[in-house]
Amino acid sequence: EELRLSHQWSTSDVRHEVAQMVADEVAAAGVDLEIKIFPSGSLFKAREQYTPLSRGQLDMTVLPLSYAGGQRPAYNLTLMPGLVKNHDHAARMNESPFMEQLEGIMAEDDVKVLVHGYLAGGFAGTEECITEPDNMQGKQTRAAGKAFEQMLAGAGASIASMASSEIYNAMQTGVLDAANTSSSSFVSYRIYEQVACYTPAGDYALWFMYQPLLMNKTTFDNLNEEQQAALMAASEKAQAYYLEEAKKEDAASAQIFKDAGVEIAQMNAEDFDKWRALAQETSYKAFVEETPDGQKLLDLALSVE
Amino acid sequence: MSGQVSAAAAPTGGNPFLRAVAAISTVAGWASAAMVVAAVGITCQMIWVRFVLNGSTVWQTEMVVYLVIAATLVGLPYVQRLRGHVNVDLVPLALPPRARKGMAVLTLSLSIAVVGVMLFYGFEFWHFAWDRGWKSDTVWGVRLWIPYMALPVGFGLFLLQLVADLVALLLNVDKPFGLQDDVTLTERADLDPVTEDAMDDPADRARAAQDFSDTKGPR
Amino acid sequence: MDPLVLGLLVALATILVLFSGVSVAIGLLIVSAGFLIVFDGARSLELMPEIFFGKLDSFALLSIPMFIIMGASIASTRAGADLYEALERWLTRVPGGLVISNLGACALFAAMSGSSPATCAAIGKMGIPEMRKRGYPDGVAAGSIAAGGTLGILIPPSVTMIVYGIATETSIGRLFLAGVVPGFMLMMLFMAWSLYSTARSGERDKLTARRYSWGERFEILPRVVPFLVIILGVLYAMYGGIATPSETAAVGALLCLLIAMVIYQLWSPRSLWVVLRDSTRESVMILFIIAAAGVFSYMLSSLFITQSIAAWIGELEVNRWVLMAAVNVFLLIAGFFLPPVAVILMAAPILLPIIQTAGFDPIWFAVILTINMEIGLISPPVGLNLYVINGIAPDISLKTILKGSLPFVACMVVAILLLCFFPGLATWLPDLVMGPGV
Ligand code: NA
Ligand code: NA
Repeated sequence: EELRLSHQWSTSDVRHEVAQMVADEVAAAGVDLEIKIFPSGSLFKAREQYTPLSRGQLDMTVLPLSYAGGQRPAYNLTLMPGLVKNHDHAARMNESPFMEQLEGIMAEDDVKVLVHGYLAGGFAGTEECITEPDNMQGKQTRAAGKAFEQMLAGAGASIASMASSEIYNAMQTGVLDAANTSSSSFVSYRIYEQVACYTPAGDYALWFMYQPLLMNKTTFDNLNEEQQAALMAASEKAQAYYLEEAKKEDAASAQIFKDAGVEIAQMNAEDFDKWRALAQETSYKAFVEETPDGQKLLDLALSVE
Repeated sequence: MSGQVSAAAAPTGGNPFLRAVAAISTVAGWASAAMVVAAVGITCQMIWVRFVLNGSTVWQTEMVVYLVIAATLVGLPYVQRLRGHVNVDLVPLALPPRARKGMAVLTLSLSIAVVGVMLFYGFEFWHFAWDRGWKSDTVWGVRLWIPYMALPVGFGLFLLQLVADLVALLLNVDKPFGLQDDVTLTERADLDPVTEDAMDDPADRARAAQDFSDTKGPR
Repeated sequence: MDPLVLGLLVALATILVLFSGVSVAIGLLIVSAGFLIVFDGARSLELMPEIFFGKLDSFALLSIPMFIIMGASIASTRAGADLYEALERWLTRVPGGLVISNLGACALFAAMSGSSPATCAAIGKMGIPEMRKRGYPDGVAAGSIAAGGTLGILIPPSVTMIVYGIATETSIGRLFLAGVVPGFMLMMLFMAWSLYSTARSGERDKLTARRYSWGERFEILPRVVPFLVIILGVLYAMYGGIATPSETAAVGALLCLLIAMVIYQLWSPRSLWVVLRDSTRESVMILFIIAAAGVFSYMLSSLFITQSIAAWIGELEVNRWVLMAAVNVFLLIAGFFLPPVAVILMAAPILLPIIQTAGFDPIWFAVILTINMEIGLISPPVGLNLYVINGIAPDISLKTILKGSLPFVACMVVAILLLCFFPGLATWLPDLVMGPGV
């Protein structure tokens, strides 16, 4: 039996490695189950994977869940500023009642999580460091995700929407003064050639994005018991690997920026609280307004220690 | 573009059904052109906001993309009516008139079938988005059934024009592939594919020629 | 079934369907639907409209209708004729000045319009009769314009480069810049051949040149300068960092429409509608092919054909230049029959991984691919530019046009060879302006 897994990442990306690991482990288990991976968006475009997944036309995907935030507003909590502080906190998030609620919503779309995982990101500025909201005043910036756009706009920045692949050019040509994206994107698009200062995810980071390996639930339920067991075992192993690699990526990106002669800034507890206060007024508020049971979900997420 | 873009719009031969469909397709063409012009205007407005006012641009990118998608889908019937979709007619040209007509009936029927599939599942997809209240995952958060509506509308109108083309062919109002009976591979060059405009009637063409000769520039 | 065998089946079915006279986009949908039903189950049909919509859901694609409006509004004016006349008046002392001004005008017009047939028609309408009147051989007159017109898809802006950029996710700005040097190199090759063959025709003394006064030379400038300013403005905006290609194209379209209305007094609703109708027809046609080709490449990928072909070629271990030669032959043959946009969309997803594995630069390859497509535009059986020329100059037989164009095909082959030996011709300018490739 064959399952099809689609994702948008290159084959050197950690998210591909996670998918490949599950595929390899399942193949090694010898339960007549093959996972065929379609990397780099070669089957579906990045943002067009959730719908076929939920309708059973695609079996598996590795996806930032917030991409489907237009269909399920609750998913916007998986890319919300200041909700997750660091990777260990993220790992506790995965085991929390909050995640249980989210998985319940996914089940309504016939979607099941196999591997949980968060990746972090930071800020970069072409002229000065971005650590606190005041730094954003009057800047043209690109933000990764709707909630971040709302918060940065609240800090007085102007938002230019673009793909992370366009940041390099936009900075080079002066369209952008600052950008916010994931650690791996900062490195793979060589943003260090264009910026003066980089604020990586460290002890305090704002930007965490939940990017699980998902599977269609009906497809999973239709597998036999050995196949399901093999998939679950492979997923557990992959999840541990994902967490370790996610931690390494932030440090690695900081090192690469440092080596390129870019100033490295750190966000402290005080900065973090300022951002969170701003987020309360902007992104959290907008989230609660547009989401059924939004306040309850937000409180659940904030209650994770 | 390579390939063949033939000259004249599909004739209607005074048949009321064909004329009605032609009129609908023409209105769709106007709508399509208007949407592209709107996209040009909105894009320029976005650049103004970003560079002159240094402000945020929240909805423009998404809006122009949806406008161009809608312009494409809604423009399909009109371009079909103008015979503007390129094709490679080597085989039809090599066939005698009767076989050519058979070929045209076959290709049109297949086209109708596949556009029918696109219409059916396009409608289903639109309905799905409408039913579940999907929005785009941006700050603007447009309700997706609005842009998705271009799928059933565009393919529906396109299907109508294709059916009209099939009817015109069966009633001998139109020639198979718009080719004259006596045209063969070597003589095709006698046709003038580009310089003549696809005007609805000769009077239009005369008026347009007049307009063109009026534009002499500052001398 | 083995994906490679399946791939062969798809290729045969595609050729069969496309040659039946059905429009290219619908043909691609028919083949995709057929193979999806048989090999992927009928349920995969559900996905077709979603993928169709998704392929069009891209801001970069916006530049296509915009550049087409820009080209159509310029083409609806006397700008082409003015451009050619201006060059002629200024180059009158240069030997063979007329053919040089015609090819120069083609290159400049190509730089504004992005369309090959439009370039051909705009310059050829004045240029061909004038060249014949002054004693140039029919073949040279017709061939130089047919070939000069093909520069429209190499010199930026270029619709085919945009399509390539979107299909392969390469920077459109970089692609545009890559076409500049090869475009002007090709123009010079065309000029060299035209001059040589005119001289060889033995009627050199019959070539008459008109003399122009300085007054006449300056008088024409106000009519061509505005468009040249727009070209420079568009280039500055795109590479000076003001805006993306799509945004630049929108501003260019607006300005060209305004100039056509103000300077060329194109303000009657009917003539404006002619511009909009022509651009709607062309953009809808191209965008329909793009979306349908998206469904087609989904089918290829879903049946694992794309991946298997790339892997198979990777294992062949042929010399990379043998591989490049084979790719060129394939592109040439495809270009003989199919419009460039369709060739690029169908071939790029399969060819690009192969090309990159063999160590070729995708930007450089875009230029090679485009020149192959240019050859298709002036070669039978469906070389569109040939038919445009035939329409402009009906008394030159298609055979003469064809024979006159063949040497220019040879020039293009020479250009491909030069690019193979000196890849820098394509990559130097983009690297200089935009920094080394990411
Ligand atoms: Na061009
Ligand atoms: Na050809």
